[in-house]
Amino acid sequence: MRGLGYLIKEGLKNIWNNRIMSIASICVLVSCLVLTGSAVLFTLNVDKVVKSVEGSNETTFYLADNLSRVESVYIGRDIRKIKNVKEAEYCSKDKAIERYKKMLGEEIFERMNEDNPLPDAYIVKMKDIKKYKETVKEIMAIKGVSQVASRQETADRLAKIDGLVKTLSFWIVLALMIISLFIISNTIRATMHNRRFEISIMKSVGATNHFVRVPFVVEGMAIGLIAAVISTCGMIFLYDGIMNIVTSVIPFTAIPLSEVFLYMAGAFVVAGVLIGMVSGIISIRKYLRKEGNEILGW
Amino acid sequence: MDKIIEFRNVSKTYDSGTHALNNASLEIEKGEFVFIVGASGAGKSTFLKLIMHEETPSRGTIMVNGINVTKLRRGKVPYLRRNMGIVFQDFRLIDKMTVYDNVAFAMRAIGSRPSAVKKRVPYILELVGLKNKANRRPSELSGGEQQRVSLARALVNNPAIIIADEPTGNIDPEMSFEIIELLSEINAQGTTILVVTHEHDLVRHFNKRVIEIEKGRVISDTKEDVEEMDLNFSTQELRFESDSPSLKEGE
Repeated sequence: MRGLGYLIKEGLKNIWNNRIMSIASICVLVSCLVLTGSAVLFTLNVDKVVKSVEGSNETTFYLADNLSRVESVYIGRDIRKIKNVKEAEYCSKDKAIERYKKMLGEEIFERMNEDNPLPDAYIVKMKDIKKYKETVKEIMAIKGVSQVASRQETADRLAKIDGLVKTLSFWIVLALMIISLFIISNTIRATMHNRRFEISIMKSVGATNHFVRVPFVVEGMAIGLIAAVISTCGMIFLYDGIMNIVTSVIPFTAIPLSEVFLYMAGAFVVAGVLIGMVSGIISIRKYLRKEGNEILGW
Repeated sequence: MDKIIEFRNVSKTYDSGTHALNNASLEIEKGEFVFIVGASGAGKSTFLKLIMHEETPSRGTIMVNGINVTKLRRGKVPYLRRNMGIVFQDFRLIDKMTVYDNVAFAMRAIGSRPSAVKKRVPYILELVGLKNKANRRPSELSGGEQQRVSLARALVNNPAIIIADEPTGNIDPEMSFEIIELLSEINAQGTTILVVTHEHDLVRHFNKRVIEIEKGRVISDTKEDVEEMDLNFSTQELRFESDSPSLKEGE
């Protein structure tokens, strides 16, 4: 298209001339993109944890309080006798608390004095994970075994949270996207109102609808692109910060941002530009149908 | 001569029920200068809107430059309008742009090359006598000068027809004569000119064809000489000489 450079320049000028509305549009779109990005990254991380938990094949069986050392050893023997048990490792309450201290830091346990609330436990690995339920039942039947902390259950719980986050974020993102579309369309409509004179002149001298449309579509796309760049930068800081906090509490290896950065930035750019473009097209449609003084509202 | 505008039994009734044109028929030939006169609400504006395809007729056929605009597809309308230059009563200039950019805007809007804009705009500004005011804003100019900018914008794409809707409505009488004189100069080079006005002095002074519309009907259409008035106005003082350069130059 001839004169495209001129039209692109005009579109970019629109953003500056209408800067307050443009900033509002960018802010809404940034929050929409950051929320979407956060939800996706959260889901990816939860998926990873769920898979690693499911794959670890470890189940902790807590023993009743006040059992003697010998009783604990006998329970261990009984557990190992079960066909599907591959190995059963004894984990005393002292060993367990040491582990937690290492994980969470000494300070939390200072107030406990010598009172250790953790029970003794056996960490069991199974031969065939498909027989999980029957094996748990058999172990629980052994006298002195009081509770099971199944990682499978943890995985199920995590998967449930993940599902909830997915559903919630889907609706929030959908709502924000609609709000973004609405605000960007209004920004462009405001530009169009300011430039209705130019539009009416363009149409009167024989500018095609494509030609009239281009600056407004460029404006929308540029708003989308700016929002995408800000969102990408924002996600870098947010993700690193949040993951540092999360991994200090829950020890797991988070997905490094470098692994997903390109996909995330690409998705932000595509989504931002697309939303901006659609907003531009929607808002000018009404104007393009009008003629002469109608455009000026006379 | 070839017909450039032809109305065959054209009627236009708006959604509000107003009958703006009622079975109007007329022909305008290429290179003619025509005054369209009539009282307010007579149907003059509708007549222009129908030519520009801002409105479509309820009945009848309209031919513009050999094209049946009644059946024109939406996508073809811009190309029809490239044959026309519009001059508005209120000038419709963009004040944030300079005089040069206002004129160049009409070329840029149809995708003209920057080199063509650079060549053509100064030429047209010279033609309308505003070369030395190219960098001024419209608000810094007098009404007559602003209307000349509007005329330059209408001319810059070298249209076959110039449509001027009350071009002298917002300027003083001396400037009005100057504008019509300038339009006559343009007409002398082959461009068809349609001027809607209700200034009888002007119509009488310039010996042109007059079409009178009343209540949506063409009630008179004459090429007879109109009486020249004794005016305290000398056409020799006008800036625009008949030997001004061709309109096509600078393209």
